[in-house]
Amino acid sequence: MRLLRCRIAERRRYVTLLLGVLLPAGLLHAQLPVPELNHQLTQLATPVVAPNFTLKDMDEKSYTLSDYRGKVVMVNFWATWCPPCRRELPSMDALYQDFKDKSFTILAINQWESPDHVFAYMGQLEVFPGFPILFDRDSAVSQTFGVKGLPTTVLIDKRGRVVYRAVGGRDFNHPEVRTIIRKLLAAEVKP
Amino acid sequence: MLPNDEYGLVKKMKLTRYCFVLLLYLPMVLSADEAQRYSDPNTGLLSWQIREPGFSMQLLQVLPDYVRATYSARGLPPDIVEAIAEYCVFGTIVTNDSQQQLSYRVADWRYVTPDGKTHPLKTKTQWVSEWKDQGVAFRWSILPDDQTFEPGDWSQGFTTVLLTPGSVFDLVYSWRYAGETREGKLEGLRCAPAALPDR
Repeated sequence: MRLLRCRIAERRRYVTLLLGVLLPAGLLHAQLPVPELNHQLTQLATPVVAPNFTLKDMDEKSYTLSDYRGKVVMVNFWATWCPPCRRELPSMDALYQDFKDKSFTILAINQWESPDHVFAYMGQLEVFPGFPILFDRDSAVSQTFGVKGLPTTVLIDKRGRVVYRAVGGRDFNHPEVRTIIRKLLAAEVKP
Repeated sequence: MLPNDEYGLVKKMKLTRYCFVLLLYLPMVLSADEAQRYSDPNTGLLSWQIREPGFSMQLLQVLPDYVRATYSARGLPPDIVEAIAEYCVFGTIVTNDSQQQLSYRVADWRYVTPDGKTHPLKTKTQWVSEWKDQGVAFRWSILPDDQTFEPGDWSQGFTTVLLTPGSVFDLVYSWRYAGETREGKLEGLRCAPAALPDR
């Protein structure tokens, strides 16, 4: 009787061990972890002049980058079908809401999609982004910025130079990103 | 005090238990640098993750119908959609996990089929050039084939190999990091099935 109890207890131990060892190792059925959004922006060793562009938003209003000279501009290349683009959108909006009255703006440049498609997508979001969504239907603008994958984001200083770059999704609603933007806003522009 | 035969049995059980634990951990120790395989509990689709010095990559099986839907929704013509749906497609995420610059070239990657033959992957440049020849300027969705990543950078897109659904192969990938070109091999990758089984 005691031996039987002993054997049952032993079997239980094996099951516990199996679960304890295999589950944390991810060897049993589990979903692949989604990469976390980091907040690292790469400062360009040599800033480059941002290529100028004129693009329209959903209401056919034109936006020209050079009109923002003297302001800090975040340009984000994205598409609705791109999962990291969708994930970083709320953090961009949070950043925009905090800095929009301080000579800062975000221009989110959609790739390839139609305004109708993007409008339908935006309608599903809890908060409609406050910054302009522009349309680069033939990806001509993204090519001038050397964008290879989506999302790609660049920060343009008051002199119209690309000074920071990030490839892949980011959490822009982060104190270190805010510090970078504050520094860029505080920089004096010599005529 | 236990009788001698029971004492011997308990001792044997303990020994078996230790061996059992060692055997469980052995593959994990041996495959410390190898892929972890995941299975989506809802669809059964497989995915793999590898972590190498500075470089990590995830590969997710993509069903042919999902590929068709992705490209049809972008308004691409049916012949282009069908051409890519004939390929074995993986959703791929490449990440620079280091604090140094890292680069990769998909053109340097190879896949090895069970007959031992080595084949190149079809790169984004090749797809985009093919689409351009058919008058389509679409240049997104395929993993960029030549990227230099700064710390924190990562990229996501499809990788494509010309194999039928369910095929098994090994992927030989490389990346450049800390002044050296490194190479890794992901064994036993399996293309997505033609469709999900009825559940």
